[in-house]
Parts: sequence; structure tokens; C-alpha cells
Amino acid sequence: MPDRALPGAPAAAPPAAPDVAGGRIDCANVYKWFPGGIVLEDVSLTVEAGQFVCIVGPSGCGKTTLLRMMAGLAEVDHGQVSIGGTPVNGPDRRVAVVFQHFGLFPWKTVQHNVALPLRLAKTPRAEADSRVADAIRTVGLTGHERKYPAQLSGGMKQRAGLARALATAPDVLLMDEPFAAVDAQVREVLQEDLLALRDRLRQTIVFITHSIDEAITLGDRIIVMGTRPGHIVRDVLVPIEQPRTIAQVRRHPAYTDLREEIWQQLRQSAAEQAGEPVEQAGDA
Amino acid sequence: MSEITGRSTGSPSPAGTSPPPAAADQATPASPKLEESRAQIEAAIEQRLRQRSRRNRRIYLLIRIVSLIIVLAAWQYYGSKSTPVIFDPLTRVLGALVDLFRHQGLGAALWYSVWTFAIGYLVGVAAGVALGMCLGAYRRAEAAVGLYVYALYATPMVAIVPLLSIWLGFGVLTQELIIGLFVLFPCVVSVSYGVRNIDGDLLEVARSLRMGRASLWRHVLLPGTAPYIATGAAQGVAMGLVGMFIAEIFTQLSGLGNLLETAAQTYHTDQALAVLLVIMALGVTLRGLITLVQRKVAPWAK
Repeated sequence: MPDRALPGAPAAAPPAAPDVAGGRIDCANVYKWFPGGIVLEDVSLTVEAGQFVCIVGPSGCGKTTLLRMMAGLAEVDHGQVSIGGTPVNGPDRRVAVVFQHFGLFPWKTVQHNVALPLRLAKTPRAEADSRVADAIRTVGLTGHERKYPAQLSGGMKQRAGLARALATAPDVLLMDEPFAAVDAQVREVLQEDLLALRDRLRQTIVFITHSIDEAITLGDRIIVMGTRPGHIVRDVLVPIEQPRTIAQVRRHPAYTDLREEIWQQLRQSAAEQAGEPVEQAGDA
Repeated sequence: MSEITGRSTGSPSPAGTSPPPAAADQATPASPKLEESRAQIEAAIEQRLRQRSRRNRRIYLLIRIVSLIIVLAAWQYYGSKSTPVIFDPLTRVLGALVDLFRHQGLGAALWYSVWTFAIGYLVGVAAGVALGMCLGAYRRAEAAVGLYVYALYATPMVAIVPLLSIWLGFGVLTQELIIGLFVLFPCVVSVSYGVRNIDGDLLEVARSLRMGRASLWRHVLLPGTAPYIATGAAQGVAMGLVGMFIAEIFTQLSGLGNLLETAAQTYHTDQALAVLLVIMALGVTLRGLITLVQRKVAPWAK
């Protein structure tokens, strides 16, 4: 356990040439085993640069594991995950993660939390300051820079988490159920703000959620995953144009059908699951 | 409360003469007037709470003073009825205190004790924090020396005092070392626990931010352990004071402990009690200091 406190030296990823495919994510035949059995089985998925993909699925379908692999936080047991054409092995500077638990350091103010990745990257002070101010303004936290996380509401904490992720201007933004820990009203406000932001940021976003509504509201594309072992059961484009607002999504003729379709899909795969014996863990 | 709701019903309510309180008021559509009165109510409630906590604090202070008077009066009463060798009244003890200060070097003894304590304490805390950090963060360090640390922790420190004075003599160094050892263990235990209990989620964040070892210590492990360091340091004060007296009584060198021992052995109970008072005051002061430092070091832990 304590050894976990000592991550290896920063991965010395060669600075990728700024290319068009900078934010492209490729997962090729990815497998993951945990001591209890297989978690992900043969997952292949390509996310184009600039795409906003939502991954929906019941708990235990390995969606978070898949995201952690993209983030370089979990090992790929078989297959390969690449970002911008380079295989992921360890956390990468072009990728930023927004955590469900916010991941803010309680002993740092909003300002210092957001500035931390820049500080670690030894960004010159003046540039770092302006980027931090930008990021904080972008997420609407101006005026709260000097507060500690304990003084913020859940929604504001996640805004700070997002600001930290944006401060480094990453190519890829990985969001792991970022709005799951805030209450329903705040969640909608955050969704609305993310939609508004989306138009200005243009990074590749992978957004994990277990809410079908949230997936349809935010995503350009939805990946539906099933459990035991985790696999992709459906890959669907959301036929609602961006930029959009929550109200537009709810009123859109495609919304109800899509929602129903994904719901059926999830139910069906759950039923199949209940009907047939659990996959053998022995093939590990 | 009734007075506050009374004010709030002053908002325009078409119901007229006698509007039912609160509920009806909220049912009316929010008008600027209503907003205003709500702000008033909130301010009033806040002020009331502030007043109440101020009053409570005054009450606690009063209780404390009354209790102190009772205890001191009881001391005086029973002391004056007792034989001087067994127990002395407060007034005589205070007289002895003044006398000790004027003629028997209580000031110098106090100064000596405080200095010895300060050095031993700081060394003990520094070593304890460093050792605790290592034990907490590095499994291998724990495997290597954990056993001895826990064995010593389980041993009453008093037991090794005689050995230390055999090895090192009866000098100041021995005293400081004894104090240091007394302080060391609470620090080690608290700090290693603190490091081990750092939020795993934050370690993952650190990993995703590609922190190196130095950054990890600086931004995560050290600040994350600060409250535990403070706890260890606070427990160390109590333990260190115990160590100080044991060392002083045992080595009979000088300091408060020696003064106390001498007074007791010559049946100067009033003097012994006077020294005891000084010791108590010292302990309370040091505890207060540590609490202050604690608040400064970890302001987010409020």
C-alpha cells in the first residue's frame, strides 16, 4: 500500500509533434483482468480528435477501468491504447483527468490547485498565472481563487477540478463520472456550462457516466457497455447538432427514441446476463 | 423567534388584517420586499446565534472562575487544618514560591529546565517526524526497522533511563536525550499513521499529474501529514515533560525536577507544592503554544 505513494518518475514521453491526430484515442483489442476475473474483453474503440464521447454502462462494466487505461493510470493487460498515435504507458502530459471525487488537494487554495500542473511542468510564472486565471474564469470560479476546497460546494469543487484539467491545455480530457457526486440541480447547471464550453475548447473528451440522459445531452457519440466481462454493446452517434442546450436536447425529436433505444439495449444485455452463466474467469 | 416572524409578515399580503404567519407569507410570490425582509431575518438570526455563542462563552468563563475559586478555597481551608509536612495552605505555598524565586534559584532552575526541554523536544520531534515519514511511506524501511521501533514504543521509557545514564553519564546531554526519546515515539507513531492514511484518491491524482518523488513529498505527503505531525508534536509535549522530570530527578543535576526532589526529601512540602504549581503552569503554557502552532500549520484542517 505505501508503495503506491511512490509513483515512478514522470513518463518521459517524447514531445509529440503537433499533428492533427493529437487528440485521437485508439483502443485496440484491450483486455483487463482483475483478481476476481476478467473486467474488459476485447474492447476496440477509436475516438477521433475533437470528438465528445460518452461511455454509459452499469456499474462493473469496466468503463472507469477503460478510462484509467487511457489516462495511463491502469495497465493494459492485453492489446494497446494509444493517444495521438503513441502508445500510452503511464500518465501523459497531453491528457488531463477530471475525477468523480474532484481530486483537489485540501491544503491548497483553488488558485494553487489549478496552478499545480503548470508548476510541476515548470511553466514560467507569468504564463502560468495568466493560464490559471483563464482557466478559473472559463469555469466561472473567478472570485473564489483564495478559497480552500472545504469552503466550496460540490459543484464549485468540480469546477475547480475542471479548471485544473484545462490549465495545461491538454489534447484529451478524460472525465470519470465528474458530476455524479453533486445534486441533480447543480448537475444540470454543470452540464449546461460544459455544453457551452465545449464549443470553445475543441479537445477530445471521454466522459464516463451511468446516466443515459447525461450521455445524450453531452455527447457527440455514445458507447454503451455491458458487464461481465465489460464489452462494447453499442456505438451510436447522437443526431443532435452542436452547439446545443439541455432544453434543445430535451425537445429534439430524436431524444426520446435514442433514450429508449439505449435503455432497451442496457436492459437486454442485463437480461442476457441473468439468463446465461457468468463468463469463466479461468481464461486469464 | 416570534418577533422576527412578526417583522417578516410586514410584507404586502393581500389577505389583509390577520395573515397566518410564515406559511402564508412564503406562499406569496417573491417580491423585492419579501427578499428584503428575508435578508433581514437572516441577519437577525445570525446576530442571535452570535449573541448566543458569546453568552455561552461568558457562561463557561464564569463557571471556570467559580470552580477555580472553590478549588483554591478548599485548598486553603484544608491546608490550614493540616500538618505542614503533609499539606500546606495556598497562602503558604505562594509564600514559598516567592521565596524560592528570590533565594533558592527557582528562576535559574526554570530556565535550565525549559532550555533542556526545548533542545530535547526539538530533536525528538525532528527525528520522530523523519522516522515516522520513512516508516509510513516506505514499506522496506518499515520491514527493516519497524520491529525495533514498535518494541521500544511498547517499553516504558523509564526503564531505559538508568541504562542511558550508565552509557552517557549524568550530563545535560543525557537529559536531552531522555527527553528526546520520550518525544520521539508519539511522533513516530502518529506521523507514520498519517502518511499511511493519505487519501488514495489524491495519490492517484498525483500520479496522473506525473509528480516525481520530490514533488510528491512537497505537495502531497508533507502537507497531507501535517495534522498528524501536529498531533504527534502535541502528544510529545506531555511525554517530553514526563521525560524531563524523570531525567532531572534521576540525574539530580539541576532544574525543576531536582528542586522538587530536594524539597520533598527535606520535607519542605510548601516548596514542593510551589514547584509543582510552576510545573503545571509550564505544561499548560506549552500545550497552548502547540495548539497555536497547529492552527498556523494546518489552517485547512479547521
